Amino acid sequence: MLIRRFFALGLAFLAASSPIRGLAEDFAKAREILSTRCLKCHGGEKTRGGLSVAGRDSLAKGGDLGPAIDADEPDESLLLQAIRYEEGLEMPPSGRLPDDEIQALAEWVAAGAPWPGGEGSEEVAGADAHDEEEPAAWPYAQVERPAVPAVEDAGWGRNPIDAFILAGLEPDGLAPAPEADRRTLIRRATYDLTGLPPTPAEVEAFESDPAPDAFERLVDRLLASPRYGEAWGRHWLDLVGYAETNSFERDAAKPFIWRYRDYVVDAFNRDKPFDRFALEQLAGDEVAPDSVEAQVATGFYRVGLWDDEPADRPLARYEALDGIVANVGQVFLGMTINCARCHDHKKDPIPQSDYYRLLAFFIDMGRQTGLETRKVGPERVEVMAAVSKGRDQAHVLLRGNPALVGPKVEPGVPIALGEAPTFEAGRGKRRALAEWLTDRRNPMTARVFANRLWQYHFNRGLVPSPNDFGTLGEPNTHPELLDWLASELVDGGWKVKRMHRLIMLSSAYRMSSRPSPEALAADPQNRKFQRFPMRRLTAEEVRDSILAASGALNDKAGGPWVCPPIPDEVLAGQSVPGQGWTVSPPDESARRSVYVHVKRSLALPILATHDAADVDASCPVRHTTTVPTQALGLLNGSFSNEQAATFADRLEAEAGAGDLAAQARLAVLLTTGREPSADERARDVAFLRSLREEAGLSERAALVQYALLTLNANAFLYID
Amino acid sequence: MSHQDQFCGRTRREFLWETGGGFTAAALAGMLSADGFLARQARAADGLTPFVNPLAPKASPRPAKAKSVIFLFMYGGPSHVDTFDYKPDLYPLDGKTIEVKTFGRGGKKNEGRVVGPKWAFRPYGECGKMVSDLFPNLGSCVDDMAFVHSMYADSPIHGSAMLMMNSGRILSGHPCLGSWVTYGLGSENQDLPGFVVMLDQTGGPISGPKNWSSGYMPAVYQGTVIRADGVPIHDLAPPKGVDRPLQRRLLDRLREKNEEHRATRAENSELAARIASYELAFRMQRHAPEAVDYGQESAETLSLYGIDRAETADFGRKCLLARRLVERGVRFIQVYSGGAHNDDNWDAHGDIVSNHTKHAGRTDLPIAGLLKDLKRRGLLDETLVVWGGEFGRQPTAEYAEGTGRDHNSYGFTVWMAGGGIKGGVSVGTTDEIGARAVDDRFHVKNLHATILDRLGFDPDALSYFHGGLDQKLVGVEGAEPIHQLI
Repeated sequence: MLIRRFFALGLAFLAASSPIRGLAEDFAKAREILSTRCLKCHGGEKTRGGLSVAGRDSLAKGGDLGPAIDADEPDESLLLQAIRYEEGLEMPPSGRLPDDEIQALAEWVAAGAPWPGGEGSEEVAGADAHDEEEPAAWPYAQVERPAVPAVEDAGWGRNPIDAFILAGLEPDGLAPAPEADRRTLIRRATYDLTGLPPTPAEVEAFESDPAPDAFERLVDRLLASPRYGEAWGRHWLDLVGYAETNSFERDAAKPFIWRYRDYVVDAFNRDKPFDRFALEQLAGDEVAPDSVEAQVATGFYRVGLWDDEPADRPLARYEALDGIVANVGQVFLGMTINCARCHDHKKDPIPQSDYYRLLAFFIDMGRQTGLETRKVGPERVEVMAAVSKGRDQAHVLLRGNPALVGPKVEPGVPIALGEAPTFEAGRGKRRALAEWLTDRRNPMTARVFANRLWQYHFNRGLVPSPNDFGTLGEPNTHPELLDWLASELVDGGWKVKRMHRLIMLSSAYRMSSRPSPEALAADPQNRKFQRFPMRRLTAEEVRDSILAASGALNDKAGGPWVCPPIPDEVLAGQSVPGQGWTVSPPDESARRSVYVHVKRSLALPILATHDAADVDASCPVRHTTTVPTQALGLLNGSFSNEQAATFADRLEAEAGAGDLAAQARLAVLLTTGREPSADERARDVAFLRSLREEAGLSERAALVQYALLTLNANAFLYID
Repeated sequence: MSHQDQFCGRTRREFLWETGGGFTAAALAGMLSADGFLARQARAADGLTPFVNPLAPKASPRPAKAKSVIFLFMYGGPSHVDTFDYKPDLYPLDGKTIEVKTFGRGGKKNEGRVVGPKWAFRPYGECGKMVSDLFPNLGSCVDDMAFVHSMYADSPIHGSAMLMMNSGRILSGHPCLGSWVTYGLGSENQDLPGFVVMLDQTGGPISGPKNWSSGYMPAVYQGTVIRADGVPIHDLAPPKGVDRPLQRRLLDRLREKNEEHRATRAENSELAARIASYELAFRMQRHAPEAVDYGQESAETLSLYGIDRAETADFGRKCLLARRLVERGVRFIQVYSGGAHNDDNWDAHGDIVSNHTKHAGRTDLPIAGLLKDLKRRGLLDETLVVWGGEFGRQPTAEYAEGTGRDHNSYGFTVWMAGGGIKGGVSVGTTDEIGARAVDDRFHVKNLHATILDRLGFDPDALSYFHGGLDQKLVGVEGAEPIHQLI
């Protein structure tokens, strides 16, 4: 509105002083100004914002923000807005032009922006490639269940997954790796489904189980464990960028947001179908307003950053909405719709209007704060759930700038995905969105989620960039397998545990991680999944496994977060050391990492150094970095040393004080799931003795050092 | 595919993607063309897969003027009109209420009571730069310094403004300047972190570790807090009761076990990397404390930094450590003046005189000592020193009484020295009362672009692929360096 008024005034002023139409020669000064003031960055050395001022055509075509000159309403031309330093667009950025230069350019634009020879001399730059793309190419094509391929070796496969994998190997003359041994399998499967190591008793039972369905029963037992939801819920928390504070100056805690974490954990444990899981998170308040569970699920919208003291309030509101749009786009659709906030997507067929049509579903939530809660259900449970306020109209924002309001838009889904229903603004629109997301006509949600299931089992997605199926993502290594998995997911009623069974009971999942020389030469990156990919423990698994080995792990589930001790040296980095981190008592501090407080401005060192998810955006793949600071923390840090002492207590208690061989055996068993070889055990015992006899340590101190050693070993940190 | 096309047994594209990827062509070319880049890596047993240390040194894509950066962060926001931005017209207005648009902690205002500058200014050096009496020692260095008086930023609120100065964005989640530099250049010294942060004795700044976070980049690029005395790095020292020979015994047996484990898993270069990381850690334990051992420094040097005076000893030690880290190849060193809240830092809302007297008094001599020491050792040419806060302060009072000033992101001053920056230069101006930048305005992005440019980067080309975008420190649209200074 403000801008409109400004234009009206400007127009009146111009009408009195400018000629109607002019000749190019009359406006040499205006072109001179463009050349000296603008060309360097716009068409000369650089073409910033996609805009060139080198010719009339290129100005009319404009850049990322659209045409720079508007023939119909010249005084509203973006060029003039920018040089007048109107809200948000300030060009040139080094300082406002003198008034006479601004007026000269305004007069020239009003006169139709005449240019010698009529046109610019240079070519029009920046034509977007995707205008001419045909619709519905992969990944936007419908999912059609592919036929299971025929393979030469009919004896290897246990289910159709294996046929797809084998069909990728056979043309290269590669054979799949042999089946891993029982100890490897139980350790792999137990970490995979629960994020924890198997106990020695579980290892022994599985190893000595002669039944042909032993592995099947193992998988079923693990899927029934409450630890399963903690591990797989954590994956989902990575994706939504789950955190329990608001960031910014105060980084205040989000009250009761932990109920959302518990909701996610429970959803996996109870095998909630993924379509229902999506519906409750996106629209639980609309679908079941009296259900505490459904309301808590909409905490999905509350986990992001929130600026309680924004310098620019409208911008802060749209930043919060951007977090939601980015999450819905990447997490459910594998589309970087967030890249179309300021202009059309550069590579994918996502126009800027798609961003704002998706945003229109959530616009009522742009004013929710990072603190407010409400009481829901018959028991008036206090929850942090979606808050819809007002009924705002969504608009396209030029250049993503809240001050540059463009055309109105109604709620809608990306046009690249083909036919979609018409969505009504107002209550119920998020429900309609959620239903469309898991509708068979939408190819993306099932593909994207099936890919994530594969990724978390096999350590790499079939599409290795799981949040981006677009042009800038990584190519799909097994398109048919992915569509087959997506079909299974939907046909199986979106049941997730069923998918785990399907994947884990394949022969592919049971392969050894050891490559043959031929396979290593032919496929060093293992793109074809010729063998099972090794991986390092995740940050949470590192900490939880140390607690499990020492015996200190408290497996209490759910409830408010816990704050294990953080060394003073680390707290010293806070402006008020210790603020927002009230240390929990020891037994609470020994709970699983999924229950550790996720404070945006302060992280538990052992989690941070082992590549825990950055929580300010969706984290689709954990980094795995290897640096000396990890070694320093595990060797010298207070957590690992305290746990080593506890571990030593356990070794003494369970293997017998003074029985070095039994202590060494148990330590290796607890940290790797393996029996040490006689040679390894003998050398471990010799090491323990040397600590006492040569380094002068007490029996107890020597055992603590040995326990610490086993918690630093690669065999402990890596899974075959 | 030839072996040369592989990094770590992966294609280049995969390597870049897995390591977070997204080097632009220029940065990639720089990385690949660095002679000896691959040779410096230990090779895994299959002979194909080099161990790529993410912090291994990399050549800059273009010839660099600066090798290291020392960023002296005046947290809280020093008042430009009381320090380096001389406003003679502001003195006579003291106490008068004038029309002026301001935006600070107290919100947007259209008028305010002027607080005249509380210190006299006098000319220094050949360039005749006017500097306030808060900085008599820095005054003697002005011919090596370049002042930017026309800085502006997006937020006048500490938390978001700190993030902007450190990461280019007012939202958290983005890598800091030091992260970008170590991502692009690696570290020359594997015994020390490539990006270090020294905090004020009163504590960290608002938002704490967010100010040295690597955001969406791997954690290896985040800043490491380092202390200027005692044990410099967290977890560097073995716990009580463990000496170095004992730790060596443990590491020897650990190495044996790890090598046995690796023997049948040679294709996994991470295992070799992790074995090597323990040896690197052991070396760090020996070499890192040497950096904070000032025993070899002469009394004259200690005095130059003010380490022999109670008021300046703390910041002086940090400035001296900064020089010693530069000598040892550390890329990016950030030193905070001011911590915690209120008058523990430069945030002079109540009494500008007591606040700035304290903070300038603690830092003037050490910073001047640093510049002089770098210069006489021939290090200033390749070390870029940056001084500034997250914003400046208003020409008017925040409250009805007193001399305190509110925040001002419409205009403020930073200065730079060394590292290929012209000396004795001032660019840009604020209006006659210092309320806002008017001529040759420079956004924080331009400051960042200038720093990247001096380090040998094209600021528009240094990128990291994340969230579907080639993310850049200077934003997707890029930014020009401050050409008048380079």
